[in-house]
Formats: sequence, structure tokens, C-alpha cells
Amino acid sequence: MATRNRTWLFNKYRDALKGARAPTSSSAAATAKLRASSGGTPAIEMAGTSLLHPKRSYTVLSTEDPGNSSKGAATIGLPPSWVDVSEEIAANVQRSRAKMAELGKAHAKALMPSFGDGIEDQRNIENLTNEITNLLKRSERRLQKLSATGPSEDSNIRKNVQRQLATDLQNLSMELRKKQSTYLKRLRQQMEEGADMEMNLNGNRAKEDDDDSDDMMLNEYQMAKLKQSEAYTVEREREIQQVVESVNELAQIMKDLSVLVIDQGTIIDRIDYNIQNVATTVEEGLKQLQKAERTQKQGGMVMCASVLVIMCFVMLVLLILKEIIF
Amino acid sequence: MVLVSAVRDYVNRMFQDISGMKVLILDSQTVSIVSVVYSQSELLQKEVFLVELIDSISKSKESMSHLKAVYFLRPTSENIQYMRRQLSNPRFGEYHLFFSNMLKDTQIHLLADSDEQEVVQQVQEFYADFIAVDPYHFTLNMPSNHYYILPAVVDPSNLQHFCDRAVDGIGAVFLALKRRPIIRYSRTSDIAKRIAHETAKLMYQQESGLFDFRRMEMSPLLLIVDRRDDPVTPLLNQWTYQAMVHELIGIQDNKVDLRSIGKLPKDQQEVVLSSEQDAFFKTNMYENFGDIGMNIKRMVDDFQQVAKSNQNIQTIEDMAKFVDNYPEYRKMHGNVSKHVTLVTEMSKIVEERKLMLVSETEQELACNGGQVAAFEAVNNLLNNESISDIDRLRLVMLYALRYEKESPVQLMQLFNKLASRSAKYKQGLVQFLLKQAGVDKRTGDLYGNRDFLNIARNMARGLKGVENVYTQHQPLLFQTMESIIKGRLRDVDYPYVGNHFQQGRPQEVIIFIVGGTTYEESRSVAQLNASSSGIRFLLGGTAVLNSKRFLKDLEEAQGIARTNANVV
Repeated sequence: MATRNRTWLFNKYRDALKGARAPTSSSAAATAKLRASSGGTPAIEMAGTSLLHPKRSYTVLSTEDPGNSSKGAATIGLPPSWVDVSEEIAANVQRSRAKMAELGKAHAKALMPSFGDGIEDQRNIENLTNEITNLLKRSERRLQKLSATGPSEDSNIRKNVQRQLATDLQNLSMELRKKQSTYLKRLRQQMEEGADMEMNLNGNRAKEDDDDSDDMMLNEYQMAKLKQSEAYTVEREREIQQVVESVNELAQIMKDLSVLVIDQGTIIDRIDYNIQNVATTVEEGLKQLQKAERTQKQGGMVMCASVLVIMCFVMLVLLILKEIIF
Repeated sequence: MVLVSAVRDYVNRMFQDISGMKVLILDSQTVSIVSVVYSQSELLQKEVFLVELIDSISKSKESMSHLKAVYFLRPTSENIQYMRRQLSNPRFGEYHLFFSNMLKDTQIHLLADSDEQEVVQQVQEFYADFIAVDPYHFTLNMPSNHYYILPAVVDPSNLQHFCDRAVDGIGAVFLALKRRPIIRYSRTSDIAKRIAHETAKLMYQQESGLFDFRRMEMSPLLLIVDRRDDPVTPLLNQWTYQAMVHELIGIQDNKVDLRSIGKLPKDQQEVVLSSEQDAFFKTNMYENFGDIGMNIKRMVDDFQQVAKSNQNIQTIEDMAKFVDNYPEYRKMHGNVSKHVTLVTEMSKIVEERKLMLVSETEQELACNGGQVAAFEAVNNLLNNESISDIDRLRLVMLYALRYEKESPVQLMQLFNKLASRSAKYKQGLVQFLLKQAGVDKRTGDLYGNRDFLNIARNMARGLKGVENVYTQHQPLLFQTMESIIKGRLRDVDYPYVGNHFQQGRPQEVIIFIVGGTTYEESRSVAQLNASSSGIRFLLGGTAVLNSKRFLKDLEEAQGIARTNANVV
């Protein structure tokens, strides 16, 4: 696809016009420019780096509030505070992704037949799963903080940032659940195989040796084997129970997130619909505010209350009068 | 995917090298261009957290210098004025300007003049200046489409504006595809000739450097035709899904607005019908109404099965599976409701307006002969009280277009009956249509009764019988495309511009209909593309028509022509 870059021509014109403008500008404009440029140049550099860059130096460049409309010179202020929250959540998402890769490897390792009883592997898996679940839970709680009230451009940005992070979190939790359920399934399979194998072994043993003398020995042997397989089964049961619990926790997170995530392919996912909607919600908000103001001014409640109080006083006076007269 | 992917590539490239939080600012035309190919969630993934229109963003005064602004605008003088104001009071940290068509040097100069703070980082031309409605169908969505009907002397400045927009749009399509075509146009149409010559001037003289692409053995063909060569297709009632929705309800930028139709739940008031995002729509958009009903029923049954299994949750495993599948379930539910709602509403409209009855006669008028029978049928329908005014008008128009020269007495009778029955009928509209698109004005053989070969073909078809009475009509475009495939497009009907000439068949053909395309025609294009004919067809127009829009254009043109005649 063809494009054409006009930046070079634009810059040429801009420099030429700047040169033409500089000698004729008034002193006031010049000093304003100087004031801005001393604080301005490092600001431009800062704005140039990505906001999600981990190492960032917060040089306070302007004492003006970022909310103030600047008079002429572009004072570049700090981004609003909620950006920190969103960056924290984004960093959590990255960390969770890395940990999930680790978890995948740990799952694979645990499922392979090994000589030890694999308790360390289990603990590793448990730890990783708990960490990831906690990260996701924490991120989700922080995400709720991003909700904004009142129609403004800033609140739209916040809402959109919230949506995007919610989508990421939901995808992550779904991935985690899928990993866990496959692990669970394989675990169950292994358990059944193990139990079958044990049963077959015992069955064979029982069939093969019928001698009395060997009976005692075999029984002991059988008992030992049974105990071992019992312990093994109990261990596996516990693991399965834990995995199921974490699955349910994640399900809860997903339910909360699904209200924030946009359904793809619906009208809400259309850019033009969202632009229209913003316009109408702003108008609606204004109407609601005006209506609220009006009803408050009328103060129906206040009037009722005062009328009641007056009635009470009147009744009291009548009562006293009644007492005096009689 | 060709047109859609071209525009998507442009949008992706815009955000590619810009890191950090961004805001996207569009104008009223580029909003449509971007919305049909890019979704809100995809924008969020690119860290674009705010989308605004350029006129609303100039009203706000908040400074948001932690955001980088990406502007995607058409290079009109209005937009340049907005830009100048915004550059002199910049609200954002960085400004990246993208224009959907070629900028004049004076415009760049004006922008450079206002950029005193030097916030502009780049100025680029990304030629996404058309709305890619379907993979092989684009439109320019021009608001005042009716200027093509009027002769040049009536309103020269607006007509120039119309032609400029058409030429810009066509140029952008070819720049996006990186090709430079051979141009042919429809002989009898002045405006097609004008647009063809201006496009040739743009591509071969004014910006020949920009259009100088690597040449393949066969250049593609650009064929510019006039809507008035085939006025029948936009007047007919449609029975295939996409065309039918547009005819009965109306599709705008792949969105259907159901708010005027009836009381519907909030999430079904406006729906999206896009073949890219909806798999069911993609397989069913060209199917006829009966088949759609069956397919929807099948979809509903499948969905009910899933819903039933979701209610039957007994073990933890079932719960886990339910939560896993919940997003899919929700999406399926939304999709099913959407299609069921559409088909229900359309069935209601068909019932109310007795469209099955009307459409049978329409198809007879469009496809088969028999003037006497046709006259009787139209007369009966005009007498029928339950037929709406617009349907009566269409029937008379279709009759007039076909039997223009035969039995003028009966034609007058129909005109009078129409005028007496329809209160809102603007006098002389049918005659106006005949004057514009009558048999003397048309190129090509609309009814297949000029050429011996066509007559024979029609007779054969009549003997064979037809599969479905309601969908027997083939638009004239289909014949044109077939002639191109056989390499037999007549030079005398469709001359070349300048000294271009082409031997043999082109491999890529873009047909531009001045006055608008219809979804029935885009269906023919898609079907021909699916059959391996060796040629890829793309279709575009100044708008996407249904009968309401076509009639509105005619009325507006007639109104202007009348005031002009009175003034003169």
C-alpha cells in the first residue's frame, strides 16, 4: 500500500516560517518563550519516552497544576495519578505471564514418572498457582479503583484503560484455568492408572501363589502395597481438591471481570457507536444534574418536615390549653 | 479481504511506531472509514484510550499532555482550519498527522505556520479514503449523491465537488492497491466521461510519480459506469439477506438501526452486520429468505441445546466447564438474538406491505415480456388498497422503463392513476426518470431485447423455467462482467480514455458506478469472484442504494431541475 511522507516538506516550511517570525516577535513573547523553553526541553524528552517504561525519572518541571489551561506556552505536567494504578496492574499482568510459563513447565515435570515421590514438585506447583491467583486477585481489586464518575474526557480514557486491562486479566485467568484443568485431568488419569496397576498386581499375586506357606508372606506384602497405594491416593485427592479450589476462585474473578470486558462483534465494539454514546451521555448527565438541582431546590421533603413540626407544636399547645381549662 | 485488509494495514501502520497512551481524532467521514474495519477492542490493544471527533475536541480545554495525539482526517479546508486552531493551542504532548488523500502545498504551509510550539512529529498521507464495506465492495458514502443526475450547467460548483470526491476516492483505492489502471467509461454518460478523464489526468499527469508502480503484464481495468444505465436494480425489492435488510430497514456502515422499527430490548436496538466478524452472516448473506429461515432455525436449535446443558450443572467439573465456556455462550446468545430479531422484523414488514405479491409482478416486469399481462397486473395492484405508495410508484416506474415505447395510452392511464391514488407523489417523477434513464439514454442492453443473442438467451431461459420467481433478476452489471471475462466488452459502448488500449483480458477489474451501487450487485460480484474465472472484480460507488435512497435522489434532482427551469 502506498503512502507519502510529507514531514520533510512540513519541517522545511516550519523552519522557514520560524526564521521569518523570530526577529519580528515582541519582547513579551520572547520572554514567555524563554521561560517555557528552559523547563520545556527536558519535558519534551520525558514525554517522548514510553509511559510504561520502568525506569523513569520524575523531574518536576512545572509548578502549575496539570489541570490548568496553560496560557500560551505548553507546560507539560505530570500524568494524572490513576496512570500509576494502571501501570501497576500492567506490570502485574506481565509478571503473571512469566509465572504462568514457569507453571506450565512445573506441571509437565510433575506429570512425568519420577523416582522420588515428587512432593517438592507439588509444593512448587502449589506456590506458583497461589502466587498467580493472588496477583490476579490483587490486580482485579485495583482495577475497580480505576472506575471514574462524571462525564469527562479523562473518565473516558480511564474507562477504556480499565476495559483493556480487564480483557488482559480475563484472558490470563482463562489460560490459568485451562492449564489447571488439563493438569487435573492428567492427574486423575494417572491416579486411576496407578490404582489399576496396583489392583492388577495384587490380583495377579493372589492368583499365582496358592501355597499356605507363602500366604502369610503374600498377605503382608499385599497389606504393605495397599497401604502405600492408599497414602498415594489420599495425596492425590488433596492435590485435586486444591486445584479445584483455585479453579473456583478464578471463576469468581472472571465473573466480576466479564462485566467490564467488551463483547467482540457487538455494537459496543464499534468506534462510531462509542463516539456517539459519549456525546449522548454527556448530554444526559447534564440533564440529570439540572433535574436534580431543580428537585432539590423545591425541597419537598424539607417542607413536609417543617409542616409536621409546626403541627406538633400546635398539638402541644392545644394539649396544654386543655389541661389548663380542665 | 482485499479492500478491508488494505484499510486495516493503514490503520495499523499509523500506531506502529508510536508508544505510550494515544488519543485518536477523526472527522465525520474518517470515523466511518475506520469503524467498518477496526473495532474498539483492537484500538484498546494498541493503547489508544480515547477516540474523538475533531469538532468536539476543539471545544474542550483540558490539557492532556501525557497523551500523544494521532489525527486521521480528510484533507478538506475545514479540517485544516480546525488543525490550525488546535496546533496554536496544543493540548497533547505530540501530534502525528495522517491525511487520507493528497495534501496541497498551500495546506502544508498553513499547518507549518500554526505549529509554533513544534509539537507535530510527522505529517503523512495514508490513502484510506473509502469505506470498505465488504471484501470486494467499497463506497464513498457521499451525502449529496443526486448531482450526478443533473447536467453540468445547472450547478457547476457542486458538480465539481462531486467529481472531485469521486476522483479522490478512486485514486485512493488504486494507491492502496498499488496499481495504475487502464480506464474505460460508459459512452452515453457525460459524468462518467468526466470522472474518467479527470482520474486519468490525476494518475498519468498530475501525480504520475506517485502512481508510478511496478507494471505487471496486464494493467488492471477501471470501468466507470452510470447508475442510469441500470435503473431497474435499485428499484426492485430484494430477497437475499444482506440486500433485503438494506432494502427494508437500511444498513449504514455495516450497522442496522432498528430503533424506528419497533419496541426492542436495549441491546438489540442497533446491531452490526459485518461479514468479517460474524461467521453466520458470512455464510448466509447471499442466501435467499427461505433458506435463511431454515438456517436460523438450525442455529437456534443448536443454541438451545447448549443452553439446556448449561442449566444441568451437577458436579464441579460441570461448573468449571460452564465458566470456561461462558464468553462463547454469551457471544452465541447475542448473535442468535440479533439474527432472529432481524428476520422477525423483516417478516413483519413483508406481511404488512404484501411484498410477496408486489415482488412477483416486479420480477415479471424486470425479466419477462408480455406487455398486456404486465399492464393488467400493475393496474390491479394500483387498485389494491393495501399496497403502499412507494410500492405503487416503483411498479409504475418499472412498467414505464420497460414498456416506454409500447402503448403510450396505457402508460398515461397508469400515470394518472398513480397521481390520483398517491397523495405524496411528486408530479412527473416517472417522466423525469424516463427522461434520464430511458431507452435512448442507456448504454448496454438492460432487458436483453436488442441483441439477437440476448433474445435467444432469454427465450431459452423462459423455456427452462426458473428456480425461484423472486430472485430471477440478474443486474446488468452481471452481463457486463461476463463480457469482460470473455474479453468481449465493446469499444463502441465503453470507449477507452486517451490512447490507452488493452489486448486480451485484464486480471483485475474495478467497476465504479456513479450514482451508487446496490447490494444485489455486490452479490453478483462476490459470486463471480468465487467462481474461478481468473479475474478478480471489485465494485465501488458513490453510495449504497436501496429504493428509498434512489427515489430520494431522483426527487431532489427533479426539484433542482425545476427551480432551475423556472429561473431560466
